[in-house]
Order: sequence, then structure tokens, then C-alpha cells
Amino acid sequence: MNYAIFLGCKIPAMVPAYEDSTRAVLGKLKVGLQDLPFTCCGYPTRSLDLDASVVAAAHNLALAKQAGLAILTPCKCCFGQLRHAQRFLEEYPELAERVSAFLQHEGLPFPNGVKVDHLLTVLSKEVGLENIRSHVTAPRTGLKVAAHYGCHALRPSAVTGFDNPMAPTIFEDLVAVTGATPVIWPRRIDCCGEPVSASNPDLSERIARGKITSALESGSELLVTACPYCHMRFEELAKDMGLPLMLYPQLLGQALGIPDKALGL
Amino acid sequence: MNSQDQLWDVAVVGAGIAGMSAAIFAASKGLSVLHIGNGSGLVFGSGLLDVLAVHPVKDSTVHEDPWHGIELLRKDEPSNPLALVGPKAMEVAVNQIMEALGKAGMPYEPSTTNHFVPTSMGTLKGTFGVPTTMTSGAKAFENKWPTLLIEIRGLREFSAAQMVHTMGDKWPGLRFEKIEFPDSKGVFELYATHLATALETNKTRQAVIDIVRPLIGDAKAVGFPAILGLSESTAVHKAFEDALGVPVFEIPTMPTSVPGLRLKHSFEVAAAAAGVFRRVQSVVTGVKFDNDIATLTLQDATGNQEVQAKAVILATGRFMGRGLFADREKVREPLLDLFVEQPESRENWHSRDFFAKSGHAINRCGLLVDSKWRPTDAFGAVVWPRLYAVGSILARQDWMRQKSGSGLAIGTAWAAVSAMSDDFGSIGGV
Amino acid sequence: MEDTVFNGGFFTTALWIALGVCCLGLLWRLVSWLIIKIGPDAKEVSFLQRLGAAIIGGIKAIFSKRLPGIIGGFVLDSLLQRRLFKVSKKRWLGHMLLFYGCLVLIVMHALHVLLADKLFSDYQATLNPFLLLRNVFGVATLVGVVLMTSGRKKDWGKVRPARLPIDALFGILVVVIVVTGFLLEAQKMSSPKAFNRMAEEYGIDEDEIKGLRWVWKLDYGVAFPDLKGEPDPDLLEEGRGYNEDYCVGCHSKPQHAFVSYPVAKAAGLIATSTDAANVDKGLLYIHIFACFFAIALLPFTRVFHVVADPISLVVRGAASSAPLSKAGRVNRRALAMDACIRCGLCDFDCSVGPIAKWMNNQELLPSRKVQATRLVASRSEIKAGQAERLAVGAHLCTDCGRCTDRCPVGLDLADLWDAGRGDLSSKGFPAPAVWVKEEPAIAWAEALGAELGRVPPAGPLTADRNQFSACVQCQTCTNVCPVVANSGEDRVDLAPQQVMNLLRLGMNDLALGSKMVWDCATCYQCQENCPEGIRVTDIMLELRGAAWRQLGPVRDRRRSI
Repeated sequence: MNYAIFLGCKIPAMVPAYEDSTRAVLGKLKVGLQDLPFTCCGYPTRSLDLDASVVAAAHNLALAKQAGLAILTPCKCCFGQLRHAQRFLEEYPELAERVSAFLQHEGLPFPNGVKVDHLLTVLSKEVGLENIRSHVTAPRTGLKVAAHYGCHALRPSAVTGFDNPMAPTIFEDLVAVTGATPVIWPRRIDCCGEPVSASNPDLSERIARGKITSALESGSELLVTACPYCHMRFEELAKDMGLPLMLYPQLLGQALGIPDKALGL
Repeated sequence: MNSQDQLWDVAVVGAGIAGMSAAIFAASKGLSVLHIGNGSGLVFGSGLLDVLAVHPVKDSTVHEDPWHGIELLRKDEPSNPLALVGPKAMEVAVNQIMEALGKAGMPYEPSTTNHFVPTSMGTLKGTFGVPTTMTSGAKAFENKWPTLLIEIRGLREFSAAQMVHTMGDKWPGLRFEKIEFPDSKGVFELYATHLATALETNKTRQAVIDIVRPLIGDAKAVGFPAILGLSESTAVHKAFEDALGVPVFEIPTMPTSVPGLRLKHSFEVAAAAAGVFRRVQSVVTGVKFDNDIATLTLQDATGNQEVQAKAVILATGRFMGRGLFADREKVREPLLDLFVEQPESRENWHSRDFFAKSGHAINRCGLLVDSKWRPTDAFGAVVWPRLYAVGSILARQDWMRQKSGSGLAIGTAWAAVSAMSDDFGSIGGV
Repeated sequence: MEDTVFNGGFFTTALWIALGVCCLGLLWRLVSWLIIKIGPDAKEVSFLQRLGAAIIGGIKAIFSKRLPGIIGGFVLDSLLQRRLFKVSKKRWLGHMLLFYGCLVLIVMHALHVLLADKLFSDYQATLNPFLLLRNVFGVATLVGVVLMTSGRKKDWGKVRPARLPIDALFGILVVVIVVTGFLLEAQKMSSPKAFNRMAEEYGIDEDEIKGLRWVWKLDYGVAFPDLKGEPDPDLLEEGRGYNEDYCVGCHSKPQHAFVSYPVAKAAGLIATSTDAANVDKGLLYIHIFACFFAIALLPFTRVFHVVADPISLVVRGAASSAPLSKAGRVNRRALAMDACIRCGLCDFDCSVGPIAKWMNNQELLPSRKVQATRLVASRSEIKAGQAERLAVGAHLCTDCGRCTDRCPVGLDLADLWDAGRGDLSSKGFPAPAVWVKEEPAIAWAEALGAELGRVPPAGPLTADRNQFSACVQCQTCTNVCPVVANSGEDRVDLAPQQVMNLLRLGMNDLALGSKMVWDCATCYQCQENCPEGIRVTDIMLELRGAAWRQLGPVRDRRRSI
């Protein structure tokens, strides 16, 4: 198993522990990772200029295509954006033509047929739950964990194909593999509030607060995320509200017996 | 897993109650199920599951015992799909679905007869399956308990004042109070779903309880619009009853209501638990059959895809669900152009009297099926050996007037899946 | 000879003027580090606070435990250019050649009276190794310039880092100085006039000089026009003797000047005529005035980075151990204006590089944004069109921090971009999500209508009537919307189903400026749950793009009125 790892912009700059723990966990599970000179996935540009956001994604997809690799990203927004770009390139042939010309000028191929996966789908479907379970040496037995899904991987399911958008199970299954007990909480598939954190901070905080309250009142002892944006949204607030927060590969890493330091803890 | 990578045992098209039930039944029998459709019918539901309340419709005769109603129907309308399912199978099927929904977070009161639930219009609705959050409403009316209804300022789809106005004669102890929902000052319009999710947090719930408690007075029951939680309605409802010390019930509101969303949510969870693979925002735009395999063309935001299945269950509904389409001349079945039994000409679609109690001919048009629930042409020949049709697309029923929508959907789904799984046994399937 | 020139007073005066300009320039730039205000928080600190922060910061850096680390960083990043080495070996080589070439030439040649004479007891410009080394470093400097300037186009394509004319001028001056240096050396080698002057100085008599002339013609390349044919062997032998006595002590064989000597040979034929035309004097004037000009210019070009960058690197070292005070941060931003060498390394793997190329907007690139940040922070008015481009650059930046990591001179670019966005906002160019909310949706619609008199199409989904024909206004989108649910007292103006209704009626213009559109959290609940398969969220995003394109110009025109 070999992937081009797509970290995006936020992980190296704001959540470096996510990169550390992802590499540590995937290394342990024998998933090969290769670094390519990726740039912005185009997600932040999508609001203003769809074409530019598609070309940004296509540029990255083309790099993966050139290297003959599938993409693995730990970021749900990058994941969604790369998938969306693939969709838009099919939907708008005229845009696809312009993008193709642009990429050709850069010496890159047209990026059709590149496989894009999120960290969680790779773990659950490619590595396999049983395989992971066989590596668990320090199960987190008894820990009640609320898994936060993250919108841009889950929806729109027709584009992302991540899991059943109404009743997903992939994240709870991955929590259960660590020996912890997944909590089914009311707001688990709802928005974290991050996308409006800059334009409407109050609204963003209310949404995030509602989520953390829901997790707490459902008896959760730990909130886990698998996206840097969601993680950043919760980071301070969860601490204030008394709910410990972790990135999923940190939880899994502990169960796999990887030392905390290597997980950025 | 991608839906196009495998040959499915069954593809279920349509995700109303019929499609959802068919998918769950089929998956429970161990078949691999691809289920296409976005559950549109469900959000328009009230949460109440009707089996059969009215027969014959021309007399508007209401039955307290739905099984007896079906027995009567068997005599009067032997080819009505409900009659074809029969009371025994219907009972098994409906109970199975109620149980599955209960496990998925929307429990129903165990039931053997129809109940009469007060609605936001001030009417009583005869229905079989009642969510536990609504059952006390029927009891309160039956016993004419002094009852307090809570109206919420800004929630436009529910007027307790109107209910009291309409029902006051029959229910003298009924009164209402209007309250301000926490943190809603200055907000012009409130949405039931948002109140429901807000009530899932301790703080908001406690605030509402504190507002309502001093208003109870002599009331022996308190009725709320259906806003007591979304996915956690059982817990929210229980918290209200514990805190207020009297039975608390929800009153179903106009669609699209919170119970409709609950129903959709619970069906989705139940389907996932049964192992159904869902394609949510996809539309089936074409089906091709060869000897053993059906090839379905799916259209969604990513474009077109083809998937293959050994059997197809059509649960696409009537006009609203686009299972049927009426043009200037006739009613068609748009996906496969199946034969639709219908009046000879358009002028016979409706009777002269629009409000005719017996309904209109157009309401009873639809697909004809053989004894195994397979659509047939005008001469009774099946279209494809493993194409089945269930739910409201079927002809010779009037579920709206018979108050039998859920029963029709669940019962025919059960019957069709049973017939289909017999077929699978004979062809050496699963 | 140089000494004689300086004695003349004219050159001395010129030198003092150049040095004076240079010093004033240096002072001006140093002070500017305490004056330039970048970022909204810059207004909150006084000059004295900033001066204090600079002094205390300097003292702390010197006496901190981290000093060895800071010095180590200086050696690696400044002297050895570690970061540049990682990015481009070619440019690293160019930079090393240029910098050390110039440095050696300055120490050994330009300032030989002050430095080289004192450092090396036997220093003589015409003796090896100095003769050879001068040529070596002259060539190194020129190769450095070529390496640094060539291939930029290929590296960056259409989008290139910012260059200023004054930097190009300085580069030209360096080339002029080195080239005239070589020519001057060549001219002197072949010049009979120079030979005669030296002979005179050393009091060599008529007899001695005959042989010596032949030796210097054959061995040193002096172009005596009257010496033709073969010399008398005895005379030559005699000349070699005198050469040993008088000259060799101060003159190595000129062949070691491997650039000047071939030039001298090639130009030998015209040496006498150049002598006659005082070309040597002309070259000397050009050479020296170019030097003076360069000195005076230095503080005003990016070459000033040789002063600013070590300081910047020290500041980075200090900031990495303890966060800077507000005044310190503000100082650091001002320092960045001078420390930035516009090398363009930050652009090299900028996250939004492909977007910058696609949009053909260089203002997205960090190297351009450094200057834009200063422009925006300054008091001058920005033209609306330009501001729009700058705003796009500022607001599309993803804060990935790569430019900060990559910067060879240790600038905190991430902080600079943040400050720049603040300044842009306070000048009236906040992010679109902010300015759209300055006015209610209906006001935008009216303004748009007044200008265009029609409703422009928003995008393919909005324009597709089939999208909305199925909308039954069932409110499902609103029911599942976390924004409407959480908007509190500051309500959204329209619920999602109302936005869809407007679109159904063809009233895009009323939707563009809607708070709902701009507060949408893009969680896709509405789209996933829509019973009719309407792509509600995709449409919201499409409306944002349309609003940015259509309302942006309206806003600009209204501002300029």
C-alpha cells in the first residue's frame, strides 16, 4: 500500500501533531507514504472562484497522476475539495478543457482517474479493521469516545462517497478498534462551525459549543476529530468546557503502543 | 465499497416508507441490497403509522380494529393491495418495522388497535402506530383529562389556540398557554427542528421546564407541538415527564415536521443496521433487463453510473415521488413505461364533485401486479421475472382516504420481499 | 597612482559625499524600523515603546543563553545560506560567488589602504597571489551576477517575483565596476605611458631602460609601438637583469591576471592610441564613480539586506525562544520591509501559486505581498482596481506558513500577512464575507439594478431552471440548517428555502447579498437532505462567487464617488 500524502495547508502550519501521529500510525501499519510538491487544494478559494479552486485541486491531482499514486489526505476539507474538483471536471467540459491546457503548460497530465482517499477510509477499508485490531497492544478499554464526523467528507455523499451520510458507522468502528467505547451522540454528524469562524465568530462558536455540549451530555470522556479545521475549532473551546480532545491517529497510536511523543502529545 | 463494483441481489428504487421497508426486509433475509433514493416521502410523514382506518371510503366509516377493516376490504375490494397482503402478514410486517424504528431511536407504543390522536388542526387522526412521545395525547382526549397545551411564540406551524377553539366543545378541560422559547427574543420565525435540537441540551430543556411548570395548575397532562428532541426524543420526552410530574405528549404538526425527520433518521439508522447500502442523492434514470441481470443507470452529481442487480424492487411512489407521471393524455410510469391501469380518458380522472367522499378514479390508478407482486402488462404477463412493485404506485387502492399509507407501504414491501426471497431460493441465490 | 588621484581633492570630496549619503540612508532606514506602522496593532504602540523594545531585544539577544544558537543560525543561514542551498544549488552558488567575490574585492582591492595593507605585510596589488586573486574574485562576481539573474524566467514562468528598477541599476553598477576594473588593469598592463611613469619614478636611466623595455614587451605585454622584430639577445639578457633588480619584487608575471592579460594582449595594438586618448583616465573615473554611486545607492537598494538580514535572523532566533512583545512584533514587520531581498524563494512553493498563475494575479504571491503590505499600511490612497487585486492576494492566502519556513532571512511572513489583512480591512477592503454584510441584500440588489438594469445570471446551477422547478418549499433545507438554528438574535435574513424560492423566481440579485448566503457553513446538510435533489449548498457557493464578481465592482464604483 503506497499513497501520496496530501497534508494541505492547515496541518503543517496549525496542527503539526496531526501529521506526526498520522505518519507514526501509518508507518506502524505498513502504509507507505510519499511526499509530492502539493499546493493548496483549492477549498478556501471555492467561495469566490470555482474555476480557480478546481484548477488548484487539479494541479495536485495531476501531480499524483504523474507519480502514479493514489492520494491520502488526513484533512476532510481537502478530501472533499479534491473530490468536488473531480466532479466539476466531469460536469463542466469547457472548464476541463481550460484546466487541461493550463496543466499541459505546466508539464502535467490531465488528472482523470486519480484515487482520492481520506485517512479514515484508508484505515477502515484498505488497511482493514481486523488488521488494525491485530496490532493493538494497549487497548483503551472503558474510554467513552465521541467521534466527530466532519461535514466535508461525509456530504454530499454522491460526491465524496465516504460513508452512509445519514447513519455513518466508519468512525465509530475505528474508535471501537482501539478498545474504546464509541458514544452515539445527537450532534455527531453536524457541522463544527469552523467555516464561518472568520466571517461570523459568534455564530461559529455557538455551533461548536452546541456540539461539545451534546458530546458531554451524552457521557463522552473524549472527543476525537479527523480534520484539522474541526480540530482547530474545538481546540480551545473543548478545553474550556472540560472535554478532552484528540486527533484520531493519536488515539489509535496510543492503542498501538506508539509513545506519546511520536504522536505529538 | 462502491455500488458499481458488485452484482447486487436486490436494487431497491425509492426511499419512502415502502422502499425503506423493502430494503430492510430484504437485507434482514441476508440479501445484498443497494438502495437508491433520498427519502423524500419520509420527511412529509407525521410519524404516525396508519394501517387502515377508513373503509368503505364512500361512507367514511372509521374502524378501531384495522384487522377487521382489512377483512372487510377483502370482501369488498379483493384486488386492493391491502387485501392481497392480508391482516396476518400486515401485522407481522408493521410490528417488525415498529421494532426496527424503536431500536433506531423512535419507539412506538405496542399496539393492536387504532388510536385517535389529536392533531394540530384540532382534529382526531385514527392511526395504528403511535410514537411513545404522542401516546398520552390519545389517552388525554379519551379520558377528557384537564390538559394544558403549550404554544410557542414564533412557531408558526402550530397553534394551540386553534386546537382549543376547535376541540373545546368535545374537550372542556383543554386550555393553552403561549410561551417564549429560551433565547428567542426578537426572533420573528422559529423552526420546529431547531427547537427540537435545542431541547436535546440540558440547559434549554431545563429553561423550558421552568417556564412550563408554574403553568400546569390542575392539568393532568401537558401537550407540546412535536419538538421534544430530534434523535433523542425518548430521552427528552422522559425528562419532561419526570420534571413536570404529569403525562406529556407531542402533537404532530404540519409537514415537514420534526417527527417526519425523526422517521427519516430512524429509517436510515435501521437500514444501515440491517446492512443496506444506501445511495442517497441518486436518481435511477433507466433500467435494462437481460435474462438474469438488471442494469440500472444512476444519475447523481458525479454523472451517470451503471449498477447491476439480480432483482429490482420499484417503490417510487405516485405523482409526488415521480413514480407516476400524468401528461395531457394519460398517466405513465416514467422509468420503465410499465402498464398503468387507469380510466380510459382524462375526463374520467375526476368525478364531478371535487370533494366526493368516494374519491376519484385517478386516485386508484397505478400498476397491476401478479400474485408475486410483479408488475404485469394489460394482459397479466409479467414484465421481468424479478421486477417487483410495492407501495403507493400500485393500483386499486386509495391510501389517503383509507388512511392506510404506511400499512400499504410496509405490507406490500413485506409480501413482495417474501415472494422474492422464495424466488431466490429457487434460483439458487443467497 | 590611486593615491595621487585622491590627493586631488575632487575624488575625496566625491567619496565623502557618497559616504555621507550612504550613512544618512542607513540612518533613515534604521529609524524607519521604529516608525513604519504595519498592522492594526501598530497604532497602539509609541515610538519610545518601539525603541525600548528594540534596545531591550538587542541586549537580551546578546546576553541570552541562546546566543550560541543565534550565532550558529547566523553562520548557517547568513554566511552559508543554508536555506537557499536547499531550494536551488544554482542560485546558492550565484549568491556565494557574488557576495564573497564582492567582499574580497572590497577588502583586498577597494580598501587596500585601510585593510589589505595592514592584514598582509607584503601586500602589493601587482604581486601574486593578489594579482591572481583579484582576477579570480572579479570573475566570481560576474559569474555570480549571471547565475543570479539568468534562468529566473524559466524558474517562475509567467509569475515572477517583484523587482525594482533601482535593484537592476545596482546590479548594472556592479558589472560596470568589475568590467572597468578588468579593462583598467588590461590597459595599464599594455600601456607604455604607465611603464615610462614607473621607470621615471624608479630613476632608471636611458641605458638600462632599453633592455628593460624589451623584457616588458615580451614578458609583460606592454605595447611599445617602436619595438619591432627580434631584440638583441645581449640587450635582452641585460634587461632581464635590471628587471630582477628593479621590478620583480613588485610585479608578478601578468599572465596570472588571467582575464586582464588576454584583454591586454588583444588590445595591445591600440594601446598607444588609448594612451593618447587618456582612456585609462576615463576608465578610472568610471570605475571609481561607479563605486561611489554604488556606495551612495546601497541603503536604497535591496543590497541593504546585508545589514538588515543578520539583524532579522537574530530577531527570529530571539522570537523562537520567547514570543515578541507587541512593539517587538511591530518593529519586526518594519524591519521585514528592508530585510526582504525579493529573492522570490517564498513564491517558489507558495500554496496558492497555481491559483496566482491561473488568475494571472501576482498579488497572491508572497514576494509581491511584502511590498503590498507596506503600500496598504502607508497613508497613500490605493486605487480601487489595485486594491481589489491586493485584497484577493491577502484573502486567498491559506496561511500555510510555507513562505515563513522558506524565507532565508527569517521574516515572520505569516504575521505580516495577518497584519496586512488587518490594514486592508481598516482601509475598507475586508474579506468579501465581511463587506457584503455592510448593506442588506435588498440594497445590493437595488444598486446592481441601478447600474445594470437587469439581473445578471449567477452561474450554471442558478441559471438552470430545472434545479428549482422541483422545489416544493418543504423547508427541509432550513430544518437541517445549523446556521439558521444557531443564528441567535442576529438572525439570518433569509432561510435557505427562501433563497431557493428567490432563485426559482429568477431573483438572483436579491440572493447575492443575503446574509444566509455568506454565513452558510457549507455543511451540505441541506443538499444531502433535499427531497428533490436540489444542490442547495453548491448553489450557495455559486452565489458567493457571483456576488464577489458582480457586487465587488459596484462597491468599488460607489466608494470612488
